[in-house]
Amino acid sequence: MKVMVCLKQVPHQDARLDVNGDGTWIQEDNIKFEINSYDTYAVEEALKLKDAGSADEVIVVSIGPDRVTQALRTALGMGADRAIHVNDDAAAGTDALATAKILAAVAKEEGADLVFAGLMADDDNASAIPPMVAELLGFPSATGVVATDFSDASVKVERELEGGALEVVDLPKPCLIAIQSGANQVRYASLKGIMQAKKKPVDVKTLADLGVADSASAAQNKTTINKIYVPPKGDTAEILSGSTDEVVGQLVTKIKELGLL
Amino acid sequence: MGTVLVVAEIQNGAIREASYELVAAAQGIDGAEVNGLVIGSGVGELASEFASKGAGKTYVVDDAAAENYNVDVWSKAIKAAAEASGAELILIANTPTGWDVAPRIAAGLDCAFTSDCIKAGAGDGGYNFVRRVFNGKLDAEVSTSGRTVATMQPGAIAPFEGSSDGGAEAVSADLSAGAKFVEIKVAESTGVDLTKADVIVSGGRGVGDPEKFPEIIQPLADVLGGAMGASRPVVDAGWLDHPYQVGSSGQVVAPKLYIAAGISGAIQHLVGMKASNFIVAINKDPDAPIFEVADIGVVADLFDIVPALTEAVGAAKG
Repeated sequence: MKVMVCLKQVPHQDARLDVNGDGTWIQEDNIKFEINSYDTYAVEEALKLKDAGSADEVIVVSIGPDRVTQALRTALGMGADRAIHVNDDAAAGTDALATAKILAAVAKEEGADLVFAGLMADDDNASAIPPMVAELLGFPSATGVVATDFSDASVKVERELEGGALEVVDLPKPCLIAIQSGANQVRYASLKGIMQAKKKPVDVKTLADLGVADSASAAQNKTTINKIYVPPKGDTAEILSGSTDEVVGQLVTKIKELGLL
Repeated sequence: MGTVLVVAEIQNGAIREASYELVAAAQGIDGAEVNGLVIGSGVGELASEFASKGAGKTYVVDDAAAENYNVDVWSKAIKAAAEASGAELILIANTPTGWDVAPRIAAGLDCAFTSDCIKAGAGDGGYNFVRRVFNGKLDAEVSTSGRTVATMQPGAIAPFEGSSDGGAEAVSADLSAGAKFVEIKVAESTGVDLTKADVIVSGGRGVGDPEKFPEIIQPLADVLGGAMGASRPVVDAGWLDHPYQVGSSGQVVAPKLYIAAGISGAIQHLVGMKASNFIVAINKDPDAPIFEVADIGVVADLFDIVPALTEAVGAAKG
Protein backbone atom coordinates (compact mmCIF):
# COMPACT_ATOMS: atom_id res chain seq x y z
CA MET A 1 0.00 0.00 0.00
CA LYS A 2 1.34 3.38 -1.08
CA VAL A 3 0.59 6.12 1.43
CA MET A 4 0.80 9.85 0.69
CA VAL A 5 0.80 12.54 3.37
CA CYS A 6 0.00 16.18 2.52
CA LEU A 7 2.12 18.61 4.54
CA LYS A 8 1.92 22.35 4.93
CA GLN A 9 4.71 24.46 6.34
CA VAL A 10 3.22 27.30 8.40
CA PRO A 11 4.55 30.17 10.54
CA HIS A 12 5.63 28.91 13.96
CA GLN A 13 2.82 29.11 16.52
CA ASP A 14 4.77 31.72 18.48
CA ALA A 15 5.97 33.68 15.43
CA ARG A 16 5.37 37.41 15.34
CA LEU A 17 2.40 38.20 13.14
CA ASP A 18 2.93 41.48 11.32
CA VAL A 19 0.78 42.35 8.34
CA ASN A 20 2.78 42.54 5.08
CA GLY A 21 3.24 45.58 2.82
CA ASP A 22 0.14 45.11 0.68
CA GLY A 23 -1.94 44.10 3.68
CA THR A 24 -3.02 40.74 2.31
CA TRP A 25 -1.00 38.29 4.41
CA ILE A 26 1.57 38.31 7.17
CA GLN A 27 5.14 39.37 6.72
CA GLU A 28 7.01 36.07 6.23
CA ASP A 29 10.64 37.25 6.11
CA ASN A 30 12.80 36.35 9.08
CA ILE A 31 10.17 34.38 10.95
CA LYS A 32 10.40 30.75 11.96
CA PHE A 33 8.33 28.11 10.16
CA GLU A 34 7.27 24.64 11.23
CA ILE A 35 5.17 21.74 10.01
CA ASN A 36 1.48 22.50 10.55
CA SER A 37 0.64 20.85 13.89
CA TYR A 38 -2.32 18.87 12.50
CA ASP A 39 -0.08 17.50 9.73
CA THR A 40 2.43 16.09 12.24
CA TYR A 41 -0.35 13.78 13.49
CA ALA A 42 -1.06 12.80 9.87
CA VAL A 43 2.61 11.90 9.33
CA GLU A 44 2.59 9.85 12.53
CA GLU A 45 -0.55 7.98 11.46
CA ALA A 46 1.15 7.06 8.16
CA LEU A 47 4.35 5.97 9.91
CA LYS A 48 2.36 3.74 12.27
CA LEU A 49 1.07 1.89 9.19
CA LYS A 50 4.64 1.50 7.97
CA ASP A 51 5.76 0.17 11.36
CA ALA A 52 2.90 -2.34 11.24
CA GLY A 53 4.07 -3.52 7.81
CA SER A 54 0.90 -2.48 6.02
CA ALA A 55 2.35 0.54 4.20
CA ASP A 56 5.06 -0.20 1.64
CA GLU A 57 6.01 3.40 1.17
CA VAL A 58 5.21 6.72 2.86
CA ILE A 59 5.56 9.76 0.57
CA VAL A 60 5.32 13.27 2.01
CA VAL A 61 4.20 16.07 -0.32
CA SER A 62 4.35 19.80 0.17
CA ILE A 63 3.85 22.90 -1.95
CA GLY A 64 5.83 26.08 -1.34
CA PRO A 65 9.09 27.96 -1.77
CA ASP A 66 12.62 26.69 -0.92
CA ARG A 67 12.03 26.92 2.85
CA VAL A 68 9.54 24.01 2.58
CA THR A 69 12.50 21.62 2.10
CA GLN A 70 13.10 21.87 5.83
CA ALA A 71 9.59 20.62 6.68
CA LEU A 72 9.99 17.73 4.24
CA ARG A 73 13.41 16.83 5.70
CA THR A 74 11.86 16.78 9.16
CA ALA A 75 9.17 14.35 7.99
CA LEU A 76 11.83 12.20 6.29
CA GLY A 77 13.76 12.27 9.57
CA MET A 78 10.67 10.97 11.34
CA GLY A 79 10.66 7.99 8.96
CA ALA A 80 8.90 8.91 5.69
CA ASP A 81 10.56 7.26 2.66
CA ARG A 82 10.67 10.08 0.15
CA ALA A 83 9.36 13.55 -0.49
CA ILE A 84 7.85 15.53 -3.33
CA HIS A 85 8.30 19.28 -3.24
CA VAL A 86 6.12 21.30 -5.62
CA ASN A 87 8.19 24.45 -5.96
CA ASP A 88 6.80 26.84 -8.55
CA ASP A 89 6.25 30.61 -8.38
CA ALA A 90 2.89 30.11 -10.13
CA ALA A 91 1.76 28.04 -7.11
CA ALA A 92 2.47 30.84 -4.62
CA GLY A 93 -0.79 32.06 -3.12
CA THR A 94 -3.03 29.46 -4.75
CA ASP A 95 -6.50 29.22 -3.18
CA ALA A 96 -7.69 25.97 -1.57
CA LEU A 97 -9.17 24.50 -4.74
CA ALA A 98 -6.10 25.19 -6.89
CA THR A 99 -3.92 23.75 -4.12
CA ALA A 100 -6.13 20.66 -3.95
CA LYS A 101 -5.80 20.22 -7.72
CA ILE A 102 -2.02 20.20 -7.39
CA LEU A 103 -2.10 17.64 -4.57
CA ALA A 104 -4.62 15.47 -6.45
CA ALA A 105 -2.31 15.52 -9.49
CA VAL A 106 0.57 14.27 -7.31
CA ALA A 107 -1.62 11.54 -5.76
CA LYS A 108 -2.70 10.40 -9.24
CA GLU A 109 0.85 10.37 -10.58
CA GLU A 110 2.01 8.36 -7.57
CA GLY A 111 -1.00 6.02 -7.58
CA ALA A 112 -1.55 6.58 -3.85
CA ASP A 113 -3.83 4.01 -2.17
CA LEU A 114 -4.30 6.15 0.88
CA VAL A 115 -3.93 9.89 1.44
CA PHE A 116 -3.48 11.44 4.87
CA ALA A 117 -3.73 15.15 5.69
CA GLY A 118 -4.23 17.29 8.77
CA LEU A 119 -7.76 18.51 9.51
CA MET A 120 -6.79 22.17 9.13
CA ALA A 121 -3.84 24.53 8.82
CA ASP A 122 -2.71 26.62 11.78
CA ASP A 123 -2.34 29.71 9.55
CA ASP A 124 -5.48 29.98 7.43
CA ASN A 125 -7.65 27.75 9.69
CA ALA A 126 -9.60 26.74 6.59
CA SER A 127 -10.15 22.93 6.78
CA ALA A 128 -10.69 23.07 3.04
CA ILE A 129 -8.14 21.10 1.10
CA PRO A 130 -8.39 17.44 2.21
CA PRO A 131 -12.05 16.81 1.22
CA MET A 132 -11.38 18.69 -2.06
CA VAL A 133 -8.47 16.37 -2.88
CA ALA A 134 -10.72 13.39 -2.13
CA GLU A 135 -13.49 14.71 -4.38
CA LEU A 136 -11.04 15.34 -7.22
CA LEU A 137 -9.66 11.80 -6.87
CA GLY A 138 -13.11 10.23 -6.48
CA PHE A 139 -12.06 8.87 -3.05
CA PRO A 140 -14.35 8.67 -0.03
CA SER A 141 -13.08 10.80 2.83
CA ALA A 142 -13.43 11.49 6.53
CA THR A 143 -12.27 14.52 8.50
CA GLY A 144 -11.42 15.11 12.16
CA VAL A 145 -10.30 11.50 12.51
CA VAL A 146 -8.92 10.48 15.92
CA ALA A 147 -8.61 6.70 15.43
CA THR A 148 -8.11 4.33 12.49
CA ASP A 149 -8.55 0.56 12.19
CA PHE A 150 -7.29 -0.91 8.92
CA SER A 151 -8.39 -4.11 7.22
CA ASP A 152 -7.58 -5.34 3.69
CA ALA A 153 -10.29 -3.56 1.75
CA SER A 154 -11.34 -0.74 4.05
CA VAL A 155 -10.53 1.39 7.04
CA LYS A 156 -12.80 2.07 9.97
CA VAL A 157 -12.28 5.58 11.31
CA GLU A 158 -13.57 7.48 14.30
CA ARG A 159 -14.47 11.12 13.58
CA GLU A 160 -14.62 13.61 16.41
CA LEU A 161 -18.00 15.34 16.73
CA GLU A 162 -19.09 18.01 19.19
CA GLY A 163 -19.07 17.36 22.94
CA GLY A 164 -16.69 14.39 22.78
CA ALA A 165 -19.00 12.12 20.74
CA LEU A 166 -17.44 10.03 17.98
CA GLU A 167 -18.84 8.93 14.63
CA VAL A 168 -17.57 5.60 13.31
CA VAL A 169 -17.38 5.38 9.52
CA ASP A 170 -16.12 2.61 7.26
CA LEU A 171 -14.24 3.86 4.19
CA PRO A 172 -13.39 1.53 1.29
CA LYS A 173 -9.83 1.97 0.00
CA PRO A 174 -8.52 3.97 -1.74
CA CYS A 175 -9.59 6.84 0.52
CA LEU A 176 -8.48 10.06 2.18
CA ILE A 177 -8.30 10.62 5.94
CA ALA A 178 -7.93 14.08 7.51
CA ILE A 179 -6.50 13.66 11.00
CA GLN A 180 -7.56 15.65 14.07
CA SER A 181 -4.84 17.01 16.34
CA GLY A 182 -4.13 14.80 19.35
CA ALA A 183 -4.99 11.63 17.42
CA ASN A 184 -1.70 9.97 18.36
CA GLN A 185 1.66 10.55 20.03
CA VAL A 186 3.85 12.16 17.38
CA ARG A 187 7.40 10.80 17.26
CA TYR A 188 10.44 13.04 17.06
CA ALA A 189 12.98 12.74 14.31
CA SER A 190 15.86 10.77 15.87
CA LEU A 191 19.48 11.73 15.22
CA LYS A 192 19.83 8.54 13.19
CA GLY A 193 16.63 9.41 11.34
CA ILE A 194 17.92 12.87 10.52
CA MET A 195 21.20 11.44 9.20
CA GLN A 196 19.32 8.91 7.06
CA ALA A 197 16.94 11.62 5.83
CA LYS A 198 19.83 13.40 4.13
CA LYS A 199 20.12 10.47 1.72
CA LYS A 200 16.41 10.18 1.04
CA PRO A 201 15.12 11.62 -2.26
CA VAL A 202 13.27 14.94 -2.44
CA ASP A 203 11.82 15.31 -5.95
CA VAL A 204 11.23 18.91 -6.92
CA LYS A 205 8.37 19.42 -9.36
CA THR A 206 6.74 22.31 -11.17
CA LEU A 207 3.07 22.67 -12.09
CA ALA A 208 4.02 21.86 -15.70
CA ASP A 209 5.66 18.60 -14.55
CA LEU A 210 2.32 17.66 -13.01
CA GLY A 211 0.30 18.77 -16.03
CA VAL A 212 -1.66 21.38 -14.06
CA ALA A 213 0.06 24.63 -15.12
CA ASP A 214 -3.13 25.77 -16.87
CA SER A 215 -5.62 24.58 -14.28
CA ALA A 216 -4.09 24.98 -10.84
CA SER A 217 -1.96 28.13 -10.66
CA ALA A 218 -2.71 31.18 -8.52
CA ALA A 219 -3.96 32.84 -11.75
CA GLN A 220 -6.94 30.46 -11.57
CA ASN A 221 -7.90 31.50 -8.03
CA LYS A 222 -11.62 31.90 -7.44
CA THR A 223 -11.11 33.02 -3.84
CA THR A 224 -8.93 36.00 -2.92
CA ILE A 225 -7.80 37.48 0.40
CA ASN A 226 -8.13 41.26 0.00
CA LYS A 227 -7.04 42.37 3.42
CA ILE A 228 -5.95 41.02 6.79
CA TYR A 229 -5.90 43.00 10.01
CA VAL A 230 -6.00 42.77 13.78
CA PRO A 231 -9.68 42.31 14.68
CA PRO A 232 -11.34 45.39 16.18
CA LYS A 233 -11.61 44.96 19.92
CA GLY A 234 -15.12 44.36 21.16
CA ASP A 235 -16.06 44.55 24.81
CA THR A 236 -12.60 43.75 25.99
CA ALA A 237 -11.65 42.85 29.55
CA GLU A 238 -10.89 45.39 32.25
CA ILE A 239 -7.11 45.00 32.46
CA LEU A 240 -5.76 45.08 36.02
CA SER A 241 -2.54 46.97 36.55
CA GLY A 242 -0.04 47.24 39.35
CA SER A 243 2.43 44.99 41.09
CA THR A 244 1.76 41.28 41.46
CA ASP A 245 0.52 41.87 45.03
CA GLU A 246 -1.81 44.66 43.94
CA VAL A 247 -3.23 42.63 41.06
CA VAL A 248 -3.72 39.59 43.28
CA GLY A 249 -5.43 41.80 45.91
CA GLN A 250 -7.91 43.06 43.31
CA LEU A 251 -8.60 39.48 42.16
CA VAL A 252 -9.26 38.33 45.73
CA THR A 253 -11.68 41.26 46.23
CA LYS A 254 -13.52 40.26 43.06
CA ILE A 255 -13.71 36.60 44.10
CA LYS A 256 -15.21 37.72 47.43
CA GLU A 257 -17.77 39.88 45.59
CA LEU A 258 -18.77 36.83 43.59
CA GLY A 259 -19.52 35.10 46.88
CA LEU A 260 -16.94 32.42 46.29
CA LEU A 261 -14.84 33.16 49.37
CA MET B 1 -28.07 38.73 -5.93
CA GLY B 2 -28.83 35.24 -7.18
CA THR B 3 -30.23 32.35 -5.21
CA VAL B 4 -28.69 31.37 -1.88
CA LEU B 5 -29.15 27.75 -0.89
CA VAL B 6 -29.07 27.27 2.88
CA VAL B 7 -28.27 23.71 3.97
CA ALA B 8 -29.98 22.77 7.23
CA GLU B 9 -28.50 20.41 9.77
CA ILE B 10 -30.66 18.30 12.06
CA GLN B 11 -29.54 17.71 15.65
CA ASN B 12 -31.59 15.74 18.18
CA GLY B 13 -34.60 15.68 15.88
CA ALA B 14 -34.72 19.45 15.26
CA ILE B 15 -33.14 21.92 12.88
CA ARG B 16 -30.20 23.32 14.80
CA GLU B 17 -29.76 26.97 15.61
CA ALA B 18 -26.67 27.28 13.39
CA SER B 19 -28.93 26.57 10.40
CA TYR B 20 -31.11 29.60 11.27
CA GLU B 21 -27.93 31.67 11.55
CA LEU B 22 -27.27 30.68 7.93
CA VAL B 23 -30.79 31.82 7.05
CA ALA B 24 -30.04 35.19 8.68
CA ALA B 25 -26.80 35.47 6.69
CA ALA B 26 -28.62 34.62 3.46
CA GLN B 27 -31.49 37.05 4.20
CA GLY B 28 -28.88 39.75 4.80
CA ILE B 29 -27.44 39.51 1.29
CA ASP B 30 -28.88 42.28 -0.91
CA GLY B 31 -31.36 41.01 -3.47
CA ALA B 32 -30.82 37.35 -2.67
CA GLU B 33 -33.58 34.79 -3.09
CA VAL B 34 -33.27 32.31 -0.24
CA ASN B 35 -33.87 28.58 -0.70
CA GLY B 36 -33.44 25.83 1.88
CA LEU B 37 -32.30 22.23 1.79
CA VAL B 38 -33.11 19.57 4.37
CA ILE B 39 -31.46 16.15 4.15
CA GLY B 40 -32.53 13.16 6.23
CA SER B 41 -35.01 10.35 6.61
CA GLY B 42 -38.60 11.20 7.53
CA VAL B 43 -37.83 14.91 7.49
CA GLY B 44 -40.83 16.21 5.50
CA GLU B 45 -42.21 18.16 8.46
CA LEU B 46 -38.84 19.67 9.32
CA ALA B 47 -38.49 20.80 5.71
CA SER B 48 -41.90 22.54 5.87
CA GLU B 49 -40.88 24.17 9.13
CA PHE B 50 -37.59 25.40 7.61
CA ALA B 51 -39.52 26.72 4.58
CA SER B 52 -41.85 28.75 6.83
CA LYS B 53 -39.19 30.08 9.21
CA GLY B 54 -37.02 31.97 6.77
CA ALA B 55 -35.60 29.46 4.28
CA GLY B 56 -38.42 29.96 1.76
CA LYS B 57 -38.73 27.29 -0.92
CA THR B 58 -37.03 24.29 0.64
CA TYR B 59 -35.68 21.32 -1.22
CA VAL B 60 -35.84 18.06 0.63
CA VAL B 61 -33.88 14.85 0.17
CA ASP B 62 -35.90 12.40 2.26
CA ASP B 63 -34.38 8.95 1.99
CA ALA B 64 -33.53 6.04 4.28
CA ALA B 65 -29.95 6.35 2.98
CA ALA B 66 -29.78 9.76 4.66
CA GLU B 67 -30.90 8.62 8.11
CA ASN B 68 -27.40 9.25 9.45
CA TYR B 69 -24.88 11.73 8.13
CA ASN B 70 -22.87 10.27 5.26
CA VAL B 71 -20.34 12.35 3.34
CA ASP B 72 -21.18 10.82 -0.06
CA VAL B 73 -24.96 11.05 0.42
CA TRP B 74 -24.74 14.67 1.57
CA SER B 75 -22.33 15.59 -1.17
CA LYS B 76 -24.66 14.21 -3.87
CA ALA B 77 -27.80 15.64 -2.26
CA ILE B 78 -26.35 19.14 -1.99
CA LYS B 79 -25.04 19.10 -5.54
CA ALA B 80 -28.48 17.97 -6.80
CA ALA B 81 -30.22 20.77 -4.86
CA ALA B 82 -27.65 23.30 -6.07
CA GLU B 83 -28.47 22.34 -9.66
CA ALA B 84 -32.26 22.33 -9.04
CA SER B 85 -32.18 25.77 -7.42
CA GLY B 86 -29.49 27.25 -9.64
CA ALA B 87 -27.94 28.58 -6.43
CA GLU B 88 -25.03 30.98 -6.81
CA LEU B 89 -24.18 30.72 -3.12
CA ILE B 90 -24.42 27.60 -0.95
CA LEU B 91 -24.21 28.20 2.80
CA ILE B 92 -23.34 25.42 5.25
CA ALA B 93 -22.61 25.68 8.99
CA ASN B 94 -18.97 25.06 9.97
CA THR B 95 -19.75 22.05 12.16
CA PRO B 96 -18.17 18.57 11.97
CA THR B 97 -20.75 17.88 9.23
CA GLY B 98 -20.08 21.15 7.44
CA TRP B 99 -16.30 20.90 7.32
CA ASP B 100 -16.56 17.28 6.20
CA VAL B 101 -18.79 17.89 3.20
CA ALA B 102 -18.61 21.55 2.14
CA PRO B 103 -15.17 21.50 0.46
CA ARG B 104 -16.22 18.42 -1.52
CA ILE B 105 -19.16 20.36 -2.96
CA ALA B 106 -16.89 23.21 -4.07
CA ALA B 107 -14.45 20.79 -5.71
CA GLY B 108 -17.31 18.87 -7.34
CA LEU B 109 -18.85 22.07 -8.75
CA ASP B 110 -15.39 23.52 -9.51
CA CYS B 111 -16.37 26.76 -7.77
CA ALA B 112 -15.06 29.19 -5.14
CA PHE B 113 -14.86 28.15 -1.49
CA THR B 114 -14.31 29.82 1.85
CA SER B 115 -14.90 28.60 5.38
CA ASP B 116 -15.70 29.48 8.98
CA CYS B 117 -16.91 32.96 8.00
CA ILE B 118 -18.31 35.43 10.49
CA LYS B 119 -19.84 37.80 7.89
CA ALA B 120 -21.21 37.34 4.38
CA GLY B 121 -22.40 39.81 1.78
CA ALA B 122 -22.82 40.45 -1.92
CA GLY B 123 -19.66 41.26 -3.85
CA ASP B 124 -18.53 42.19 -7.32
CA GLY B 125 -19.30 39.12 -9.44
CA GLY B 126 -19.27 36.96 -6.33
CA TYR B 127 -19.51 37.36 -2.58
CA ASN B 128 -17.56 39.02 0.21
CA PHE B 129 -16.77 37.39 3.54
CA VAL B 130 -14.91 38.05 6.77
CA ARG B 131 -13.21 35.13 8.50
CA ARG B 132 -10.72 34.59 11.29
CA VAL B 133 -7.19 33.38 10.57
CA PHE B 134 -4.21 32.47 12.78
CA ASN B 135 -6.50 31.07 15.49
CA GLY B 136 -8.42 34.32 15.88
CA LYS B 137 -5.40 36.61 16.07
CA LEU B 138 -6.17 38.21 12.68
CA ASP B 139 -9.26 38.75 10.51
CA ALA B 140 -9.30 38.35 6.75
CA GLU B 141 -11.58 39.95 4.14
CA VAL B 142 -12.12 37.42 1.41
CA SER B 143 -13.89 37.79 -1.92
CA THR B 144 -15.00 35.07 -4.29
CA SER B 145 -15.79 35.11 -7.98
CA GLY B 146 -18.76 33.27 -9.43
CA ARG B 147 -20.57 30.43 -7.76
CA THR B 148 -19.48 29.99 -4.16
CA VAL B 149 -19.68 27.45 -1.35
CA ALA B 150 -19.11 28.97 2.10
CA THR B 151 -19.32 27.72 5.67
CA MET B 152 -20.28 30.05 8.52
CA GLN B 153 -18.99 29.89 12.08
CA PRO B 154 -21.78 28.79 14.46
CA GLY B 155 -22.68 31.56 16.89
CA ALA B 156 -21.13 34.36 14.79
CA ILE B 157 -24.46 35.99 13.92
CA ALA B 158 -27.93 35.92 15.48
CA PRO B 159 -30.34 33.29 14.14
CA PHE B 160 -33.19 34.39 11.87
CA GLU B 161 -36.44 34.62 13.81
CA GLY B 162 -38.91 35.80 11.16
CA SER B 163 -41.10 33.83 8.83
CA SER B 164 -41.24 33.13 5.11
CA ASP B 165 -43.57 31.74 2.48
CA GLY B 166 -42.53 28.56 0.82
CA GLY B 167 -43.11 24.86 0.78
CA ALA B 168 -41.01 21.75 0.61
CA GLU B 169 -40.09 20.32 -2.76
CA ALA B 170 -38.53 16.89 -3.17
CA VAL B 171 -35.32 16.70 -5.14
CA SER B 172 -34.06 13.37 -6.37
CA ALA B 173 -30.44 12.37 -6.39
CA ASP B 174 -28.38 9.22 -6.78
CA LEU B 175 -27.45 8.61 -3.14
CA SER B 176 -25.09 5.66 -3.59
CA ALA B 177 -22.19 5.93 -1.15
CA GLY B 178 -18.70 4.53 -0.74
CA ALA B 179 -18.42 5.57 2.91
CA LYS B 180 -20.60 3.60 5.34
CA PHE B 181 -21.97 4.95 8.62
CA VAL B 182 -21.32 2.46 11.44
CA GLU B 183 -22.36 4.08 14.71
CA ILE B 184 -22.17 7.10 17.00
CA LYS B 185 -20.18 6.57 20.20
CA VAL B 186 -21.32 8.86 22.98
CA ALA B 187 -18.61 10.24 25.27
CA GLU B 188 -17.98 7.92 28.20
CA SER B 189 -18.50 9.16 31.71
CA THR B 190 -15.13 9.49 33.41
CA GLY B 191 -15.80 11.07 36.77
CA VAL B 192 -14.34 14.42 35.73
CA ASP B 193 -17.49 16.52 35.33
CA LEU B 194 -16.49 20.13 34.88
CA THR B 195 -20.07 21.15 34.10
CA LYS B 196 -20.99 20.92 37.82
CA ALA B 197 -18.09 22.97 39.19
CA ASP B 198 -18.68 26.51 40.51
CA VAL B 199 -15.10 27.47 39.79
CA ILE B 200 -12.85 26.20 37.00
CA VAL B 201 -9.18 27.05 36.69
CA SER B 202 -7.93 26.08 33.24
CA GLY B 203 -4.38 26.02 31.95
CA GLY B 204 -3.26 26.29 28.36
CA ARG B 205 -0.15 25.87 26.26
CA GLY B 206 1.36 28.78 28.21
CA VAL B 207 1.69 26.52 31.26
CA GLY B 208 4.45 24.96 29.21
CA ASP B 209 5.07 21.76 31.14
CA PRO B 210 2.79 18.87 32.21
CA GLU B 211 4.22 18.92 35.74
CA LYS B 212 3.09 22.51 36.25
CA PHE B 213 -0.57 21.46 36.19
CA PRO B 214 -0.48 19.65 39.57
CA GLU B 215 2.05 22.20 40.88
CA ILE B 216 0.44 25.49 39.84
CA ILE B 217 -3.05 25.09 38.36
CA GLN B 218 -4.60 22.38 40.56
CA PRO B 219 -3.74 24.14 43.87
CA LEU B 220 -5.62 27.29 42.82
CA ALA B 221 -8.61 25.18 41.77
CA ASP B 222 -8.41 23.34 45.11
CA VAL B 223 -8.24 26.43 47.29
CA LEU B 224 -11.28 27.86 45.45
CA GLY B 225 -13.15 24.58 45.86
CA GLY B 226 -13.23 24.19 42.11
CA ALA B 227 -12.00 21.93 39.34
CA MET B 228 -9.05 22.03 36.98
CA GLY B 229 -9.58 22.27 33.23
CA ALA B 230 -7.40 22.65 30.14
CA SER B 231 -7.41 23.85 26.56
CA ARG B 232 -7.07 21.57 23.58
CA PRO B 233 -3.29 21.83 22.98
CA VAL B 234 -2.69 20.60 26.53
CA VAL B 235 -4.81 17.50 25.94
CA ASP B 236 -3.39 16.95 22.44
CA ALA B 237 0.11 16.97 23.94
CA GLY B 238 -0.98 14.27 26.38
CA TRP B 239 -0.37 16.47 29.45
CA LEU B 240 -3.94 15.92 30.69
CA ASP B 241 -6.68 13.47 29.67
CA HIS B 242 -9.56 14.43 27.39
CA PRO B 243 -12.16 14.81 30.20
CA TYR B 244 -10.28 17.95 31.35
CA GLN B 245 -10.69 19.60 27.95
CA VAL B 246 -12.91 22.67 27.81
CA GLY B 247 -14.11 23.57 24.32
CA SER B 248 -16.38 22.62 21.46
CA SER B 249 -14.84 19.15 21.22
CA GLY B 250 -14.57 18.75 25.01
CA GLN B 251 -16.83 19.97 27.79
CA VAL B 252 -18.96 23.09 27.43
CA VAL B 253 -19.01 24.81 30.82
CA ALA B 254 -20.58 27.85 32.47
CA PRO B 255 -19.24 28.11 36.05
CA LYS B 256 -19.63 31.10 38.36
CA LEU B 257 -15.93 31.84 37.92
CA TYR B 258 -13.65 30.71 35.09
CA ILE B 259 -9.95 31.46 35.34
CA ALA B 260 -7.97 30.96 32.11
CA ALA B 261 -4.22 30.83 32.65
CA GLY B 262 -1.89 30.76 29.66
CA ILE B 263 -4.77 30.22 27.23
CA SER B 264 -4.71 32.41 24.11
CA GLY B 265 -8.38 31.80 23.30
CA ALA B 266 -8.76 29.81 20.08
CA ILE B 267 -12.38 29.79 18.89
CA GLN B 268 -12.88 26.18 19.84
CA HIS B 269 -11.96 26.96 23.46
CA LEU B 270 -14.05 30.16 23.65
CA VAL B 271 -17.13 28.29 22.50
CA GLY B 272 -16.72 26.01 25.50
CA MET B 273 -16.45 28.66 28.23
CA LYS B 274 -17.74 32.05 27.09
CA ALA B 275 -21.09 31.48 28.84
CA SER B 276 -19.31 31.49 32.24
CA ASN B 277 -20.68 34.04 34.72
CA PHE B 278 -17.31 35.71 35.34
CA ILE B 279 -14.09 35.18 33.41
CA VAL B 280 -10.56 36.06 34.51
CA ALA B 281 -7.83 35.74 31.87
CA ILE B 282 -4.13 35.67 32.71
CA ASN B 283 -1.85 35.84 29.68
CA LYS B 284 1.46 37.45 28.75
CA ASP B 285 0.19 38.46 25.29
CA PRO B 286 -2.02 41.59 25.52
CA ASP B 287 -3.46 40.78 22.07
CA ALA B 288 -4.62 37.27 23.05
CA PRO B 289 -8.25 36.77 21.92
CA ILE B 290 -9.12 35.42 25.41
CA PHE B 291 -9.23 39.02 26.68
CA GLU B 292 -12.21 39.71 24.42
CA VAL B 293 -14.43 37.31 26.33
CA ALA B 294 -12.89 37.97 29.77
CA ASP B 295 -14.38 40.31 32.37
CA ILE B 296 -11.02 40.91 34.00
CA GLY B 297 -7.63 40.50 32.37
CA VAL B 298 -4.14 40.31 33.80
CA VAL B 299 -1.33 40.82 31.30
CA ALA B 300 1.46 39.04 33.15
CA ASP B 301 3.33 35.79 33.58
CA LEU B 302 0.97 33.19 35.01
CA PHE B 303 3.86 31.79 37.06
CA ASP B 304 3.93 35.08 38.99
CA ILE B 305 0.19 35.55 39.37
CA VAL B 306 -1.26 32.06 39.91
CA PRO B 307 0.87 30.92 42.90
CA ALA B 308 0.46 34.35 44.54
CA LEU B 309 -3.30 34.20 44.02
CA THR B 310 -3.43 30.67 45.48
CA GLU B 311 -1.62 31.92 48.56
CA ALA B 312 -3.77 35.06 48.90
CA VAL B 313 -7.03 33.10 48.55
CA GLY B 314 -5.76 30.64 51.17
CA ALA B 315 -4.91 33.54 53.52
CA ALA B 316 -8.30 35.20 52.91
CA LYS B 317 -10.05 31.98 53.91
CA GLY B 318 -8.07 32.14 57.16
